[in-house]
Amino acid sequence: MLIGITLENNKPDVRKPKDCAAEMAAHLDTVAKERCKASFAKIFGYFAPRLRSYALKQMGNEAIAMELVQDTMSNVWQKAHLFNAEKGSPSTWIFTIARNIRFDMLRKLQNRKEDICSDDMWPVLCEQTADPKEKSLEEKVTLQQVGELFNSLPDKQKAVIEAIYIEGKSQQEVADELNIPLGTVKSRTRLALQRLKDMLETHD
Amino acid sequence: MINFHPSNQQLDIFSNGLMAPAESLIISAHCDMCAQCAEKVALYTEAHSETVFDESSQKLDPSLFGNMLSQIMTQEIDKGIDSEPTNSVLELDGRKFTLPRSLNRFSESIGNWSHLVGKIWQAPVNMGGDVVANFIFMEKGGGVPEHTHRGTEMTLVVNGEFSDGLADYDSGDFMVMDGKNIHTPLTKSDEGCLVFSIIDAPLHFTSGWARLINPFSHLFFK
Ligand SMILES: [Zn+2]
Repeated sequence: MLIGITLENNKPDVRKPKDCAAEMAAHLDTVAKERCKASFAKIFGYFAPRLRSYALKQMGNEAIAMELVQDTMSNVWQKAHLFNAEKGSPSTWIFTIARNIRFDMLRKLQNRKEDICSDDMWPVLCEQTADPKEKSLEEKVTLQQVGELFNSLPDKQKAVIEAIYIEGKSQQEVADELNIPLGTVKSRTRLALQRLKDMLETHD
Repeated sequence: MINFHPSNQQLDIFSNGLMAPAESLIISAHCDMCAQCAEKVALYTEAHSETVFDESSQKLDPSLFGNMLSQIMTQEIDKGIDSEPTNSVLELDGRKFTLPRSLNRFSESIGNWSHLVGKIWQAPVNMGGDVVANFIFMEKGGGVPEHTHRGTEMTLVVNGEFSDGLADYDSGDFMVMDGKNIHTPLTKSDEGCLVFSIIDAPLHFTSGWARLINPFSHLFFK
């Protein structure tokens, strides 16, 4: 039974998700900051029936559909602070939570043995701090030490090292500029520095 | 520069969570490396969320949800654990390769490297189930004799470059090879080339995964 909180009478809220995005975002904010139950009831009132119809269509089973609604809305309640209005709308955030739960549920229901879970691909609910600066090797090799050895690097590594250490760009900027993946920039940097370090050692 | 991407259809189905796990994983790994596809996935995801929640909701009977609402609100806040988004590094013969974030967890499931042919090395990745996944490393000058594919093989270039007589591939490139492709991979790059490959995953669709293709998908396909 609902204690003290009524769902918005029995009238379905027929607004489109984008038409109530600002309102829902504000509710998520008060849930995150004040654990506001009235706000959460509004979110629940709008999304629970929609999640249920989505889940029913996907899973075809009432009990499992309700489990999906429950899990999704629990996450919304517990992790409202992870919602970031700058990254997307409340409906997109809630959809991604439901999609992830459904993906993992389906995998279990089908008895699939793959060890691949939704978090690997869509870390929607992972709390992550900002990208830490790459450390280690980079700090151990300075440009002065390097001198002319630099010129013996392969062109691609040279370009990356030049941009980062001479022009002072970030690895992300270099990736954008050269139109290559960030991981490639990181690998090239590491390979180049490793090579320089090896050359320095053999020079001694 | 990345020239080979998953199709829009693949990105669309992936973003809707309706793709088989192994294929999802390799596409996700491509998106970690490819800002362009990551952006598309974000757009598809947004479109799906609008579609899914826009459907006129059935008349909400509060008793349907019983005490779910009040029960949820008795739960504690989950602060979670802050984790730094570090990328796993794969070490091979003194060389280090940064893995795309989606493959992070699997860096611990990599088996031993074994010599395949020529200058080609292979290490299996244990993902459970029927998934056949491997890291393959081609040393400079390393090549595979001309061959074709029995099943379907999806490959992601993690680091390096290679050519296969049909095209040149670079870090981040994603390709699907099947029985129709005959190719001769060869790398000339100094640092060699590391690729991640999954075999046959798309053929392992089961009805649960395959029966749902978003009816609006065609709106996004070009
Ligand atoms: Zn791409």
